[in-house]
Amino acid sequence: MVNESLTLDEVRKMAAEIGMTRLADEHLQQLLRATNVARARREALPLGEITPADEPAHVFHLAADDQR
Amino acid sequence: MTDLAYLTVAEAAELLRAKKLSPVEYAKALLDRIEMHDSDFNSFLHVTPELALEDARRAEVELMRGDWRGPFHGVPYGLKDIVDYAGLPTTAHSKILQDNLAATDAAVTQKLRAAGGVFMGKLSSHEFAIGGPSFDLPWPPARNPWNRDHFCGGSSSGSGSATAAGFLPAAVGTDTGGSIRNPASMCGVVGMKPTYGVVSRRGVMPLAFSLDHVGPLTRTVRDNALMLDAIAGHDPLDPGSANCATGGYTAELGRGVKGLRVGVIRHFYTRDMKADAEMTAGIEAAVRLLADLGAQVREIDTAALGDYAACNRTILTSEAFAIHEKWMRERPQDYGALARERLMAGAFVRAADYVNATRIRRKMADAFHALFADMDVAVTASSMDPACRIDDPQAIEHTYARQARAPFNVTGSPAISVPVGFSKTGLPLAMQIVGKPYSEALIYRVAHAYEQATDWVKMHPNENRSARMYV
Repeated sequence: MVNESLTLDEVRKMAAEIGMTRLADEHLQQLLRATNVARARREALPLGEITPADEPAHVFHLAADDQR
Repeated sequence: MTDLAYLTVAEAAELLRAKKLSPVEYAKALLDRIEMHDSDFNSFLHVTPELALEDARRAEVELMRGDWRGPFHGVPYGLKDIVDYAGLPTTAHSKILQDNLAATDAAVTQKLRAAGGVFMGKLSSHEFAIGGPSFDLPWPPARNPWNRDHFCGGSSSGSGSATAAGFLPAAVGTDTGGSIRNPASMCGVVGMKPTYGVVSRRGVMPLAFSLDHVGPLTRTVRDNALMLDAIAGHDPLDPGSANCATGGYTAELGRGVKGLRVGVIRHFYTRDMKADAEMTAGIEAAVRLLADLGAQVREIDTAALGDYAACNRTILTSEAFAIHEKWMRERPQDYGALARERLMAGAFVRAADYVNATRIRRKMADAFHALFADMDVAVTASSMDPACRIDDPQAIEHTYARQARAPFNVTGSPAISVPVGFSKTGLPLAMQIVGKPYSEALIYRVAHAYEQATDWVKMHPNENRSARMYV
């Protein structure tokens, strides 16, 4: 999870943890900006609209044999 | 040649079927035009004259013996270069896929070939349908035929540009957050994002599986309906394909709008975002015209644009990063800067946030579709601004997010962008018409009624690239 004080070094470490070890400094700056944008989007999600029973839009289901 | 450049699909079909127009001469005329003018607009990544003439000659033989396949028989078309055509590269306008040869046709390609279409080539895209306009890729970005110094929209940029420039009467685009309707609005053409699942995505490079749509860009509403007729249909090999009846999209054209209930989502472009004054004036004039034509118009409210955008982008970037993670690890330097940064936004989205976004999507879609109990279609903005300069990164960044298209990727609803006039500087203005799922024929009916009551469809960019005015 990203926090307010995220630094370039922290982003570099986070990137390395998911195997993104070939990022140049310019790419890491982009990743830092992009991650901040994603965080802002998360904060903008209208989470108050959903209740525990609200399921995702695409819930896994199996078709009957005659529907395949 | 000029006449052939702006021939509609419907007009061409009639002439071709009546043997008054040779598909070979038609294709040659457009190939000549592309050769003469596309260096100004970069609509095409790969023009394929040999394939075009092969298709055209086959169509000519069949048409001469009276074997008419339908309205696309002998009609030129192009494919956004994230759509597979067997034997040709599908580059996604990226160095990453520069040498990626398609082994088979995409479903939409199969359908257009079966319809007798004449394939003219692969069209510019934003890199992987997300990063553009970019000047750091192996190919330049497409430009706006109304003024080549301006952005032509995207990500189906070449599809919009080529159609507006008279290089093609019809092109295939894709739309995950507005990428058919954006170039349609910027280039003054008609772009339909059909209901999710109506057109197969098989053989199309995905951006975000649950938001990706394939659809047509054309210069007229009727042509758009004809192309959707040709490409829609259930595909058991696409897990998102809707198993429902498709087709008949021209059936309601000409019935007018008298008595139809039109909801105007005005808060998208007046409160959630404040659209450019000329854009607002164009949309409001269109709404008044629909009322004059007999529609019952009233204002409606839905969720705020910001809520839809947060939902769309959280899902989009998460799904897109899942697709691109391997390349981001191994070849990050081979992306253009814009695609890399936009895709990286999905790197650290929490699983809970992605799941919650999909839960919110369901609520938003249900709430939006419930509005159709009291209305037939909704009207709102497409872009908030006319096309900005293509060489102004700040203006591009500013206008990129200023749109009202992503809500209908979230809801999966069919939505069309149609021209509603021009700015004082000669750049196209547009509105969207939106319907409930599978109501494409009704949307085309409303769009066609509006189009028939205006003259926008008769205006084309001047071929003189220095000109700013339409002819």
